[in-house]
Amino acid sequence: MRSLKMFSKILIANRGEIALRIIRACHEMGIRTVAVYSQADRSSLHVRFADEAICIGQSSSSSSYLNIPAIISAAEITDVEAIHPGYGFLAENAHFAEICESCKITFIGPTPENMRLMGDKMAARTSMQKAGLPIVPGSRAVIKSKEEALKTAKSIGYPVIIKAAAGGGGKGMRICHNDLTLISSLLTAQTEAEANFGNSSVYIEKYIERPRHIEVQIIADRLGHVIQLGERDCSIQRRHQKLLEESPSPVVDSKMRRRLGEMVLKGIKSVNYLSAGTIEFLLDEKTGNFYFMEMNTRIQVEHPVTEMVTGIDLIKEQIRVASGEKLKFSQEDIQIRGAAIECRINAEDPDNNFMPSPGKIENLILPGGPNVRVDTHIYAGYEVPPYYDSLVAKLIVRGNNRNEAIKTMRRALSEFYISPIKTTIPFHLKLMDNPLFKKGDISTHFVQDLLVNEGKVE
Amino acid sequence: MNIKEIKEMINLMNENNLSELEVEKDDMRIRLKKTANGIEGFDGQVVLQGQTTGIGAKVQASGAAVEKNEIKTVEIKSPMVGTFYRAPNPEAAAYVEVGSTIEPGQVICIIEAMKLMNEIKSEIKGKILEILVDNAEPVEFGQPLFLIEPL
Repeated sequence: MRSLKMFSKILIANRGEIALRIIRACHEMGIRTVAVYSQADRSSLHVRFADEAICIGQSSSSSSYLNIPAIISAAEITDVEAIHPGYGFLAENAHFAEICESCKITFIGPTPENMRLMGDKMAARTSMQKAGLPIVPGSRAVIKSKEEALKTAKSIGYPVIIKAAAGGGGKGMRICHNDLTLISSLLTAQTEAEANFGNSSVYIEKYIERPRHIEVQIIADRLGHVIQLGERDCSIQRRHQKLLEESPSPVVDSKMRRRLGEMVLKGIKSVNYLSAGTIEFLLDEKTGNFYFMEMNTRIQVEHPVTEMVTGIDLIKEQIRVASGEKLKFSQEDIQIRGAAIECRINAEDPDNNFMPSPGKIENLILPGGPNVRVDTHIYAGYEVPPYYDSLVAKLIVRGNNRNEAIKTMRRALSEFYISPIKTTIPFHLKLMDNPLFKKGDISTHFVQDLLVNEGKVE
Repeated sequence: MNIKEIKEMINLMNENNLSELEVEKDDMRIRLKKTANGIEGFDGQVVLQGQTTGIGAKVQASGAAVEKNEIKTVEIKSPMVGTFYRAPNPEAAAYVEVGSTIEPGQVICIIEAMKLMNEIKSEIKGKILEILVDNAEPVEFGQPLFLIEPL
């Protein structure tokens, strides 16, 4: 039985806005913080706000934020009791979690077993299917040959999608409408999977046209209690990258929500999950069917959306359950109140094919007022480095209902000023005025259709 | 070098109508430069082997000059995060001391990380002017460990 003593010092193995987020939660809980940083991040806010900071390597991610020996050394010399991995980088690296365990440092997140099971997309599908969750019709195993691919496609019916078994993030995915494209796409998908994940294994699923991406947030403690915190609709995506997320989903009614919640709890309880996680579904609006897609064994970028409608601080809960505390609220305590929307502000030029736009921020005005939250690490004079992802800020608003939230988001976006680098603020402003978006009539094709209509993309 | 010697140098310049004179002796180098108004004078610090001595060398009347003796120095920085040790174990002698001459490939310290002792080797030939970290102190990536005079 673990000691129930709260951690006195935590190392944050991440950077940018999420590192700040974790540092803030720790400081409110009286926990001392250690930041690690690459040379490029020397002037970063997370370095400034942490109680201690250790430079761990050169600018590239592999030299720094993915450098396990450097991070563990930093943890040892600063004598921390736990490491929070944030999202991305080492957050879903089971090997890293194991090393932490062997060094007697608590990894704030799921167990290595949770990560291995859910990291293998096919094993995850099988496991959730066993727990009674519907999955998208598809191949039972990795596709070994052209003949097998053709046979599978025939039995599930076109259109189909080829996906990387070890992957995610939209890489190694190919949509095929007939036998010809299936054969040619099979090879390119395998090559892309190999390049991105070091594993060329692919499988085939039925492709649902115009699906909605609905995901459910969960949290579990070490004593077997699992709570689900409602759904987020993340259908607004570009190239499989989320741009905007909201809760609740405008097309999920209370009956669907209940059904979804029951499924999720059953699935999670069957795999002895620990800490925060998200189960992703595709919703086929035509039939109202949810299909399990995959599970993310980490805290996610869009977690503030759920925080704004449920009032639960997910990072603090992660820290609490990691230290052995029991979840203090029950499922009945969780209610989605009002509506929340998050816009991911990236340093990209929406008028130039979303070309990355790193560089120095000379002028910055942050939005404010009631119901507005900004999670960001940028400041006037900050140099956005070119080595990492392009997310510079998350703008989250809440309202009594979706329409109120959209009005508030519109106001907040119009107040938000970042210059001279280009950002996606103007793109989000257009979204707020888009009649289909305002109606809630969205699928994962929404952004693509929007850009095509504007003549910005073929 | 002392003031008497410097005065002799100034006389030498005047007698021979020299505008500039540079003299090197032991580890000290002095350059005297004559300007239109006489000989420029300014305070200088002379860095001697292993020590730093301040010599206020401004000679009033003749405005003699001692130029700051700039020895080129190089920092050896930590290539990793860990704990710095000056010797392979607590009983052993330190790998290097202030004043030691080091060769490329020579082990100059240990940085311990994740229970592994990593021997840190010098990439240059030089003399140790200063050891910037105490024994058993934690160090981060890029932190200066030694101040070296390259040879």
